[in-house]
Amino acid sequence: MKKNILYITLLILFVTTAGFIVIKYRHNERIKATKVYTMLPRKGLLAKTDEWINTQKSVTLLQKKIAVNPSDSKSIIALANYFILEARATGNYPYYDMAAMKLINDVLNIDANNFEALTLKSLIYLSQHHFADGLAAAQKARDIIPFNAFVHGILVDGNVEMGNYDSAVACAQIMMNIRPDLRSYARTSYLREIYGDYPGAIEAMKLAVGAGAPGDEATEWTRIQLGHLYENTGDLKSAEMNYQIALKERPGYMYGYAGMARLAMGAKDYKKAIDYYQQAAKDANPNAFKEEQATVYFLAGQKDKAAELTKNVMDELIKNAQGANADATIGHYADKELAYAYLSTGNLNKALEHALLEYNRRPLNIEVNETVAWMYYQKGEVAKALPYLVAALKTNSKNPTLLCRAGLIYEKSGDVTKAKKYLQDGLQNNPNIDEPLKISASQALKS
Amino acid sequence: MQNLVSVNLKKTTLLMIVLLSAQLLFAHSINYALENAPVKDVVWFYTKLGFTHIIPYGLDHILFVVGLCLLSTNIKTMLWQATAFTVAHSITLALSMKNIFVAPTPIVEPIIALSIVFVAVENILISKLKPWRIILVFMFGLVHGMGFASALNEIGLPNGKFFTSILSFNLGVELGQMTVIIAVFSLLIIPFKNKTWYRTRIVYGLSSCIALIAAYWVVERVFMTA
Repeated sequence: MKKNILYITLLILFVTTAGFIVIKYRHNERIKATKVYTMLPRKGLLAKTDEWINTQKSVTLLQKKIAVNPSDSKSIIALANYFILEARATGNYPYYDMAAMKLINDVLNIDANNFEALTLKSLIYLSQHHFADGLAAAQKARDIIPFNAFVHGILVDGNVEMGNYDSAVACAQIMMNIRPDLRSYARTSYLREIYGDYPGAIEAMKLAVGAGAPGDEATEWTRIQLGHLYENTGDLKSAEMNYQIALKERPGYMYGYAGMARLAMGAKDYKKAIDYYQQAAKDANPNAFKEEQATVYFLAGQKDKAAELTKNVMDELIKNAQGANADATIGHYADKELAYAYLSTGNLNKALEHALLEYNRRPLNIEVNETVAWMYYQKGEVAKALPYLVAALKTNSKNPTLLCRAGLIYEKSGDVTKAKKYLQDGLQNNPNIDEPLKISASQALKS
Repeated sequence: MQNLVSVNLKKTTLLMIVLLSAQLLFAHSINYALENAPVKDVVWFYTKLGFTHIIPYGLDHILFVVGLCLLSTNIKTMLWQATAFTVAHSITLALSMKNIFVAPTPIVEPIIALSIVFVAVENILISKLKPWRIILVFMFGLVHGMGFASALNEIGLPNGKFFTSILSFNLGVELGQMTVIIAVFSLLIIPFKNKTWYRTRIVYGLSSCIALIAAYWVVERVFMTA
């Protein structure tokens, strides 16, 4: 009798708790659905620009319009666009991507074939590293309006990330035919870099910079990419000049400081590099900078700070990745980044695990293959690294980091000829790459 | 007894509401790496994945299976429960991966933990297999299957090899479960089942620990997960 009462109590408790879980979930979903995202305050110099003042005015106006007419798709999309731009300006992708995606889904709920909404959705998917989904959404948008340069730009990006390089080139050509501008030149540059044509890549990126208005975020972002190309080809003076111009045209631009920090790191001036990263972090601090900053701390002998920063990055990446796994419609897939983060902590098994997770999503992408090959190499499993390395080298990319890694892997596999070739090519012109890698590659070449 | 059946029905109804209210949240992700791989590689990959999802990564599923084992020392009892659980989780795993319905993780994960609490406490209250236990285990299996689906979705399935990969994953899960069952029977049940203290010390003791751990998970998954 007593047991029966206890059993009934257990059942009631179970049902009540299960009900509570469902109700709590629905409540949270309702809150999410009705949440109104706003612009977050900017920090530092970013908060003092005219662009920020204008952005705030426009956003307020759009929000008022949407409040009056919640199905005003045009205003909703315009607001989503501002959120996307703000994500890049501040590096706060988790918040603004979520904000923009909510608005875009609102529009798509009204009209599933809204071209602008599909285009922006694909853009956010790419930003969140949901590359296959981004490509699919962009293809759907292209089916609606076949000759739109912006969509073809997204198709280039999606195809590159998925490793469909031939398709990416075809889309870039269409994009260029429709509209030769900053975006299409920048894509051309990126594809030339992938195919190992650095002079061509630099030429196209210069055209991209020239096609934009100085000081605009897109122009200065492109200038930073040009600087990076110069870093990879060892022309550090030109790289510095471009970073300095970006900082002059767009004061406080974090990517400009990060570029200067990399150059200082290459010159072994770690104090200066740390200082630049700290200046970059005043306005925003994306994980990519934190990882680089951790490397500087490590090289400067401040191992505790390096470890703390690495942990910080990993916690954030894991949190974002969990978000993506829990809800595949949003959240950042960060397995490639996590692989390198785990590598820096010496956890090789986790590093390989994450590299392979990314490989399952993008087996044709050269950077992903490079990552898997590098993780196997770090684990001492060179035979397993080789097929991935061959895939990573399939476009004849001349990226010095890839070439140095290739040289080291071939050296370990006993293929002296290939090792020498790749190490020589990788170190040619003294590119500004990761210092420990450069040292290992130089030592291997001498031996 | 009638009361029990009535409450049981209510619970079943609620679970069905939860299941049927599941929404179409996302299409399963795709494992592009295995699209052109030989079938044996796909089978090996997903079998291994299913197994490791139980041992060592699926502590909650391990505790659930241990909880099932502790009800009775009779192997038939265990087999009935394991069969019900397997059939149920295979159904929802396939349906979820086919995108027929995908239950939200914030509902599935806490209910998985709650099911462990329930089974563990039930072990203390009953000692023989009752028909409703089979029904409950089946219902819980449906929920666990949705949990397996979210784990499998992280890796994705190769296009054109849906059933091969799902069946292989299930095979791996079964092998993992069988390993747990064999371990519990050979280390705990067979050596100690005839001891006078078996029920009080092992069944009550272990079940209490399992219930406490799972109760913590319920709280964690409801309140501490973003």
